[in-house]
Parts: sequence; structure tokens; C-alpha cells
Amino acid sequence: MDYEPEVKKRFLSPNRVKSFEEGIVGVVTGESSDRTLNVWVRFQVQVINGLIRAIRFNVYGCPYTVAAVDWAAEWLEGRETGALLDLGMIDRRKELGVPVDRLGKLLLIEDAAAACQKKLERLTTQDGN
Amino acid sequence: MEAKKIYLDYAATTPVDPEVVEAMIQCLGPDGDYANSSSSHFFGKSAKIHIEKARNQIAARIGAEVDSICFTSGATESDNMALIGTMNANQHRGRHLITSTLEHKAVLDTANALKDQGFEVTFVDHDAHGVISTQQLATAIRNDTVLVSIMHVNNETGVLQDLAVLGELCRERGVLFHVDAAQSVGKVPLNVADFSVDLVSLTAHKAYGPMGIGALYIRKGMKIAPMIYGGEQEWGYRSGTLATHQIAGFGKAFALADPDQEGPLLAARRDQLWSGLKVIEGVSLNGHATKRSPHILNVTFAGVEGESLRTSLADVAISAGSACNSDVPDPSHVLRGMGLSDALASSSLRFSVGRFTTETDIDYVLSRVREEVLRLRELASGAPDWTVS
Repeated sequence: MDYEPEVKKRFLSPNRVKSFEEGIVGVVTGESSDRTLNVWVRFQVQVINGLIRAIRFNVYGCPYTVAAVDWAAEWLEGRETGALLDLGMIDRRKELGVPVDRLGKLLLIEDAAAACQKKLERLTTQDGN
Repeated sequence: MEAKKIYLDYAATTPVDPEVVEAMIQCLGPDGDYANSSSSHFFGKSAKIHIEKARNQIAARIGAEVDSICFTSGATESDNMALIGTMNANQHRGRHLITSTLEHKAVLDTANALKDQGFEVTFVDHDAHGVISTQQLATAIRNDTVLVSIMHVNNETGVLQDLAVLGELCRERGVLFHVDAAQSVGKVPLNVADFSVDLVSLTAHKAYGPMGIGALYIRKGMKIAPMIYGGEQEWGYRSGTLATHQIAGFGKAFALADPDQEGPLLAARRDQLWSGLKVIEGVSLNGHATKRSPHILNVTFAGVEGESLRTSLADVAISAGSACNSDVPDPSHVLRGMGLSDALASSSLRFSVGRFTTETDIDYVLSRVREEVLRLRELASGAPDWTVS
């Protein structure tokens, strides 16, 4: 496979891989997995005052998936939590040169981010109660 | 400083040996023996000397009679010719072919093409190590079975089939026997006089010869229909002007390819590699522990995604399986056929050592593999169980 330089760079040196230390406040975890696609993605998101202050991830997948998760984590950091539902991986596919038959793998990244958002909503509801 | 690059993909192809290059050069250029070997003039006769010398060298390497070696463009063509030519020429005997799911695509796709043409094909079973079941083969042979095609050394796992037993069974039951021996020469002994075989596919480029040249051993008296017409070269089996320089290189390569000399050296490098890999957690060997060729090692790295591992090891030339499949993300049909899950089959790599592999090369590869396996496992920390089972 000939990967775009950005894919290579992100795959070989991904940032934000190590998990948060235990006990850090405001952290939620969301993951998604599809055995048929050979992909698993997990985000850990630290949210303070509605903003994503820091993000960590783990991923099992091809270099395109790893690079796309690394991009997503970088993009999310510093944004409002609503961004968790706004990753737009379909648009990102072309920029990273990801073959169209790998799109399903990228959509799992959106699912993992959405899972974080769902947990945040649940926490907000609980706090409200 | 240029990064180090190590070639461990000798099962895909080998570099041309310098002695082979010398033999080929003699047949090129205005001062070389470049002429058409079918021509009756002096130049043609000079070229023909190279062709016949090579034919002798190849025949000698596999213990065959000289006029049983028919030149082709490589093992894929030889496999096609063996299957299609034999089935077409022997329809009076029947229309049933037997092979296995572990074969190279050159056999599998040809068998499926024959199926599309109305021939019947049975794929025989094998055990978890990839060894063909003789019992299954005996059961599969029918009155109308014409040909059995089984490879000698599996190109992905290196597993060796017992040709003597399989060949004897075919002979007893009156069935023709074809062997794809593309991976065998120079690594394991292969002598057609030692077992009952009718057709053997050979290639030069996996034994330090040039690409684009191969041969089919055709036992004398065999009936086989040609696939290429136009010139009656090769006793009419395969028409077309013979490629003198490639054939000269092929002959020299086979003359040099002595398994008694090279086999132990290859086994030492392979064993050095396995000793270093097997201590890494979650690493397992694919194939049989002893019935295998000395040059191939197929290993699963549980919990490590295969494409990512291959990409991380860009400085080491390795393969996901058959080189012909490597750009296709689908897991190996051979490993899946041996019972591995899609995830584990995808997490497997084929290392293949060769004549120019050094102890230092293996040390370097071991250090790089350890480093990248750890990195990718950390990246996938917490992944579900399906990634390791």
C-alpha cells in the first residue's frame, strides 16, 4: 500500500495514545468495534465546562484507521462536546487518501466518538436528577 | 545515512545469482549467442547449445530425462498447462480433477476455470498443520478421476507434502499426478525418480534464476494438449521462440541449487529467526513443526493488526502470505483453510530466508519486529478478545 505522507506520519507517531491516569475527573470512555472490518476504536475524553480538554485513544486497525483516529483526537481536543457528533469522517477520507472500501472503518471512529457523547449526556441527565 | 533494508521475501522471488547473470550475458549482445535456437545456421546452433545445456542441468536437478523438460514462461503457465492440457487431452478417461484448498492461486483459479467449463473438481481436506490427508485423497479418487494436483512445498507456510505416499496412491488407482514444485528446488530434495509423478511445475526465479522462465516436467508417454500453438517448439507442447538468455540462466540457477548444501544453511537462519520470535508473547507458528521447507516461516502475532505490522516494518521485506495476494487486504485462504480466524490470519506474516540472508540480518529483523509488535500492542491496549482468538 502507498499511503499519503500524513497517514504515514500519523500512523508511525500517533499522539494521545496512553490512557489517562486513574482518578482524573471528567473522563468518559466510548468505543466501537467490528470484527468483520478488523477494527476496534476507543476514545477517552476529558470534559471540563463543556469543552474537551484532553483526549486519549487506543485503536486496533490498519494504518489508515490509526491515522484517522489520531487526526480525530487532535481535531476534537479544545472543542465543545458537540464536536463528538461532528467528526465528518466521510469528508476526511479523501484528504487522507483512504480507499473507498475502507470507509466503513472510518465510520467506526464516528461511532466511538458518538459513544462518548452518549455517556456525557447520561452523566448530565444524572446530574440534573 | 540510508536506512537499513533487509530482504526476507525469498519465497516471492530471489535475486539473480551473479553466476547466473554471467551465464545469461553470454546469450545477449552482438557478440553473444543471441540467435533464434530454431534457426539452422551457425548462430542458431550456438544458441541451441545453451538451450540444451540448460535442459540437461534442469533435468539433472530433478532426476528427469532430458526430453521431459518443456520450457514455459513460469510456474503459473506450467500449472495451467498441467491442469488444462491434461484434462482436455484425457476426457476419454473422465472429467474429474482433485486438488486441495491450500494450493497456489495458479492451481486454484485454473481448477475453478475448468469447473466453469463443465469439469468436476474435488478439493481434498488437510489437517490443522496443512498436511494433506491421504485417507481423504483415497476417498476422493473416483473411476472418472483423471488428475490429482498437489503442491510440494506450500508457498505460504512452507509445509511439505509427502509426495511418495500421495504419488503411490495415485499410481495404484490409475490417476495422473501433478506437483507444483515452484518453491522446492534448492531447498528440499526433489527427484522425480523417487516418487510416482507425471507432471511437475518448475520456475527459475525462486531459485536465483531470472523471472519469466519456467518448465513443466512431462513424464514420457503422457498425453497433454497444448495451450499455445504456432511453431511446434518444445515437441509441440508449447510453441514460441525460446528465450535463450533466460533459459541459460534457468539452467545455471538449477545447477547451483543444491538442497544438500543450502538446505542446512537456510534452516539455521530460519531457526535463528524462530528462536527469537517465539519468546514474544502471543506468537505462534503456522504449519507443521517438522514437515516443512527450511526457507519459510509463517508466524501469527495475536493482537497485532497485520497490515499495520507490515507497514511498521517497512525496512524489512516480508509478506502477508503469497506475494501474489499481498496487496489484497483479505486474509490468506491458506491460513483460514488451516482453521485460523480472519483476525489471526490477518495478523500473520511470512518470513522467507535465502542464500544471501546473514545472521546479522536476522538479529536486526528480530529487534525491529519486537519493537513494532510492542508498539502496536500498546496502541491496541484493551482491544476485545476477537483480536487474539
